[in-house]
Formats: sequence, structure tokens, C-alpha cells
Amino acid sequence: MSGRTTQRLAAPRHVVTWGLSLAALIAVTAGMLWLRGTLDKAHVALVYLLVVLLGSAAGGRVVGLGLAGLAFLAFNVLFLPPYGTLVIANPLDWLVLGAFLVTSVVATQLLTRAQQQAEEARGRTVEVERLSALGAESLNAVRAEDALRAITDVVRSTLDIDRCDIYVRWNGDAEPALAASSPSTLPEELAVDERRHAGESLLVWASTHGVVAERTDGTLHVPPSTEDGSDREAATDVRAPHWWTYEGVRVLFVPLRVRGHTVGVLRLLRNDGLRLVPQQQRFLDALTYYASLGVERARLTADAEHVEAMREADRLKNALLATVSHDLRTPLTTVKALAHEVAEGGASPNDPRVRSIEEEADRLTAFVADLLDLSRLTGNALRLDLAVNTADDLIGAAAARATGVLATHPLETAWSPDTPVLLGYFDFVHALRALVNLIENAAKYSAQGTPIELSAKHDGETIIFTVADRGMGVPEGERERIFEPFYRPSGLPPDVRGAGLGLAIAQGLAVAQGGTVQYEPRPGGGSLFHLVLPAHG
Amino acid sequence: MPAVRMVYWFSIKITFRIQGMSLTAVLIVEDEPKIRAILRDALEADARDVLEAPTGRSAIALADAEHPELIILDLGLPDMDGLEVCQAIRAHSDAPILVLSARTSEEEKVRILDAGADDYVTKPFSPNELRARIRALVRRAARPTVSPAEEPIQAGDLVIDTARSTVTRGGAPVHLTKTEWALLRALIAQEDRPVTHDRLFTQVWGHAEGDAKLYLRVYIAHLRRKLEGDPYHPRHILTEPGVGYRFVMER
Repeated sequence: MSGRTTQRLAAPRHVVTWGLSLAALIAVTAGMLWLRGTLDKAHVALVYLLVVLLGSAAGGRVVGLGLAGLAFLAFNVLFLPPYGTLVIANPLDWLVLGAFLVTSVVATQLLTRAQQQAEEARGRTVEVERLSALGAESLNAVRAEDALRAITDVVRSTLDIDRCDIYVRWNGDAEPALAASSPSTLPEELAVDERRHAGESLLVWASTHGVVAERTDGTLHVPPSTEDGSDREAATDVRAPHWWTYEGVRVLFVPLRVRGHTVGVLRLLRNDGLRLVPQQQRFLDALTYYASLGVERARLTADAEHVEAMREADRLKNALLATVSHDLRTPLTTVKALAHEVAEGGASPNDPRVRSIEEEADRLTAFVADLLDLSRLTGNALRLDLAVNTADDLIGAAAARATGVLATHPLETAWSPDTPVLLGYFDFVHALRALVNLIENAAKYSAQGTPIELSAKHDGETIIFTVADRGMGVPEGERERIFEPFYRPSGLPPDVRGAGLGLAIAQGLAVAQGGTVQYEPRPGGGSLFHLVLPAHG
Repeated sequence: MPAVRMVYWFSIKITFRIQGMSLTAVLIVEDEPKIRAILRDALEADARDVLEAPTGRSAIALADAEHPELIILDLGLPDMDGLEVCQAIRAHSDAPILVLSARTSEEEKVRILDAGADDYVTKPFSPNELRARIRALVRRAARPTVSPAEEPIQAGDLVIDTARSTVTRGGAPVHLTKTEWALLRALIAQEDRPVTHDRLFTQVWGHAEGDAKLYLRVYIAHLRRKLEGDPYHPRHILTEPGVGYRFVMER
């Protein structure tokens, strides 16, 4: 904008300068002609030099050099004898004349160069001021979207274009979506540029390959496609190449990059074709950079909001779990204790009906615990306390906890004095729950009175706890499904109860701490369930 | 003193006279009236006075005023955090505190033990379990503080003489290292009560330096192998999952 207006204003100003300079030259010459008898050559040279300097200061190099030439001629013809001719009588006068010419030319050059540099410096100051204003504006905006709006406004006014849009790739490989526009009204065409190249919209093409331009004649200038998709991101330079500034470009797509990742696309539109002076090109580079930072900020803000929302959901879920756990346990405590009291002190001690109230309360308690565990596992709300633990501790605690099983099945733990102390690295409480679930599962699916064997061994980088039973085993086709929640084996005797959560929870708890639960048919009948946990070290 | 009067408003003082009279006063801190009634039923056979407090504030005031010999504290109180109640009571009273918790988090158990509680029972508890815990706490509190000159401890087939640093199992002497002795003493000092991992670290090793968790687990395993018949079925050094260990004389 500024470049074209200065060119149009230049002509009349130059005429005025020329006029004034020539008038000054003529006036000085006339004055000195009148005093010619009393003047020395040095006086004449100094006065002409003064005129040349003033002229070049006011009108630039051309005026200065023109005045120097004219003054040279006037000096020679009018003030160096013989007067009225270009002939010089005294050869030493050539020295004076030559010195005058060289001095005026050099002085003109120096002066105009200094002026140019001052002009450029002024221009840079304006540029820096505008950019810093933009930076401040985009950083000060409360919302990241407002910052993007501010950037599009500045781009549009600075580059004198009809429209500026910023598209943001909110995540990964997603298609860039319109995030800010200047002017804010939607363009005639669709918000997302629907024009395509090689099957991809120009926006996507620009974001993966580099700067895309559409000329006013409708032809496209696109960067070549790189075959290998992996380094497409790194294939092109962040800065807009400058080839397009020499041709009529109507729409320009500039990818916005931060740390090698394309975060969005800047879209510029000027219906008459973009034509940018070098200063504006530099602006575009800087503005592209600001736009990239603005887009990155918007993306980070969106990420932070997402994380915050997730955290809030997590917090609510944990609060809900805690409340459910608490609110169910309190009435269960009352039911259980009252049933116990009635059974102990009632008129009919050991009345099976009262006993069954207590048993059902226990079952409900266990079921609530199962559901809580399952929801923690599926919701990734499980907290792990990984530490060095001994197999001794785990087996001892499991044997102590599985007291309900002991009533119907002897629990055999093969310990001999030469059994080494096995060290694992796991969450003790969760591992204990998994192991107890395996023991209870074994008891549930094996005949009363048959023993359940519990053992531990070191195997490579794992500690394997094995629960062995002489029960019905698992048919070949169902060996994967037994670890699914709510799985119940087919042909189950009616007295076997439970929701089918024990193995699923054991598996989930084991996997959460880097282990697993495996099934293996036991030679001679029955099942082997292995709880595999990481060994220490 | 309106504050004290308020406390009496909120608390119901019930006096029971019973044969054993092993305890003069027990304080039940629980906001659920039904569970309070169950606890009272469970306790009135052993205590002369059963005091009840439905809130944390009334509990602290009652503990100060009546010096109960046992406090049963529910953690889910309406007015105060159970941990604060526990600390406030512990600041003025040495009486054993048994905590009832409806939450099963092990971190909470550790925190409450660190806050001065002696033991915990998780809801829904069985009355038998509760009574056993209470009995152990009362028995422990009734004994004068353990001094090194105490008589040897008899635990099953074990005879542990902490004064002379000797242990026999079934009459046969058992050799314990210095660290094993320190660990055993720390456990015996808290007999019948859970001792947290952290507390054992600091008592035995001074502070939890190096791979203290590893040392503790390994030393417990060695101690069990020397003192227990079958470490997979320990009778004296019991594991408190996620919390620590508990030494009991006999199971």
C-alpha cells in the first residue's frame, strides 16, 4: 500500500525540488557574476558546493548530481578565464574544477545514502512497533481464539488483502478447522476450502506438503508430494517462499508450524492478486510465526481444558465410588451385626434363616467390593503402590484371608525349609486380592473336601503364584472367555453362586501392575491358575 | 459452661453395671444410631459405663471429661474429619483407640494409625472380630508398660526373653541377629496391634534409608523362618496387607 502511494506522490514533489534547486543555482550564479571581480575561485567553488548539497538533501541523488553537473559547467564558463568558453587558460584551474566536481559528487552520494539508511531505519521502527503491538495483542488476549482473531485482523490490514483465515489442526492428523477469520463474516465460498489437489483439499495439502498458491488465472502452484508420509511434516520450510510475490496469486495457503509439527494453516485471499513489497514479505514471515504461536497456544489451551475436564470427571467418579462404598457398607454393617446378634443370643440359636441373613450380607459386601474394583479397573482409577514384597507375605496373607474357603477345602501350601525368599515387585493389596480371588474360584469349582494347593516359584523376571485344584477344569473353547467379566461357565451346578467377576478382577489387577493371570489344565484333572507378577530387580 | 452442656445434650450417657467390671468407661463415637446400638450391645458386657458421642466435637469433649479407657471411633463423622478427632483425643488421652472405617483404603489405615489410633476394623465387621480386637486392646492396655526386665514372653512353642535376648522354639535355642532382635522388639512392643512399615523402618534402621522396604520384607521373612513353623501360615508375625505387620502371642 505505502509503496504505491509514494510512487504516485513522487512526481510533483520532484518537479518542485528541481525548480527550486535550479532557481537557487541561477540566483547564486547571477549574484556571483555581479561580484565576479572581487571573488576568488575558492569562493565560487564553496558557494556552488553549498547549492549542490542543499539540492541533494532536498531532492535526492538525481537532483544533487544534476546540480553538480550544471554548477561544473557554470563554474567553467562564467568564472574561469577566459570567460564565456569551456577553454581554461590556467592549467591549475583544472585542478580547482576537478576537485569541485569530485567533492560535490561524493558529498551527494554520502548524503543520499545516509538519508536512505535513515529512511530504512524509520521503516524498521514502524515494522518492529507493529509486530510488537501484534505480539502484545495476541499474548494479552484472554481467550486463545481472540488472539487468533487479532492476528488475522493485523495480517489483513498489513498486507492489504481481502480476507485472512486461520485454520487449526486440533489434534494429530485431523483436517484443519476454521478457527478465526478477518473479516469475521463467512466467505462466499465454504468455510473450509473445498478445492482439491490430488484428491486432498488444498488445506490438507498445504498442511502436509507446504505452501499452496492459487493464481488469479485459476492455476495451482503446489509443492510436490513426498512419497514417504512419515517425513512429510519436515519436508518444507516454515517460511513462505517468495516466488509467488512475482506472479498474480489470488489465494495463498501457508502452513503454520511449531517445532516441526504443522499446527494449522494461514489462508490469505486477495481477489486482484497479491503483490507484496519486500517489507510486507518480511511481515508475512513474522506474522506466520506469530500465527503459529497463536495456534499452538489455542491448541494447548484446548488440551488443558480437556485434561481439566477429564480430571474433574475422574474426581467425581472417585467421589462416587467412595460414597457408594461408604453408603452401602454402613447398612450392611447393621444387617450383619443384627443377624449375628439374633443368631447368637436369640431364642433359636443357629437358626439357618438367621445365618443366611448374615451370609447374604457378606455376599452383598463382596459383590459391592467386586463392582467397585471392576469400575476402578475399567475406569483406570486404580491406584498402584508398587513395592518390593516377598512371596511369603503374599501367600501367608492369602491363606489368612481365604478363611471362607478353608471351611470346605483344605488349603495346602508346600513350604520346605530350603524354600528361598522370593522377592517380587508389585502392589501387595491388589496382588492379594487377585490371589484370594483365584483361591475362591478354585474352591467354587471343585468338589468339597478336595485340596487346593498354593505355591510360588521364581521364573526368569517373574514370580509365579500357582493355585491348583482338582475341580472340573475349563473346556478348551472357553479358556479365553473365563477372564471376561460376568462370564459363567455353561452347565454350572445350581449351588455355585457368584456374578462371574472374580477372575476378571484378578486378571485386571494383575495386568495393571505388569503381570497377568494364566490358565493351564492340570495334568490328572483340574485347573492351574498362575498369577504372574514382576520379580524384583 | 455451655459447651460441656451441649456435649451432654448430644451424648447419651448410659450406665451398665455388670459382673466383670473390667472397664469403667468406654466411649463410642459413631453417627449412625443403629451401629451405635450394636456397639453398645457388644460392649456393655465388659464395661460399666458406655458413653456415646454422635459427633467429633462431642467425642473430644467427652474424652477429656470422662477419661474413658477405650475409644471406638468411626471415621465418617458429620462434623469433623476422623483423623482430626483421633489426633485431638490422642493429645489428651492414652486410652486405646479402635477405629471403624467404611472405606477400605490402606493409605487411610496407615494415616489413622500414624494419627494415634491403635487398631482398625473395616465395616461391615463381624461382631466376633470386633470383640476380639477390643479384648486384645484392653488386655494390652491393662498391662503395665513393658520393661526390659519383664518375664519372658510365651507365644505358642516360642519363649522370647527380651531381657536376655534369647529365644527358644520348642525348647531349642534360636539364634537371632542384632537387626532381627531390633525388629522383633519393635513388633512385641506393639503386640496385638498393627505396626506400620514406616514405623518399623524408623525404629529398626533409624530412618528409611537405602532400600528400606526391601530390608524390612526380607528381615521379616528371615524372622518368620526362624520363629514360625510354616512361614506360609504364620501364627505370630502376621501381615497387615498394605499397612505393616502385627505380632500376636497366639492365634
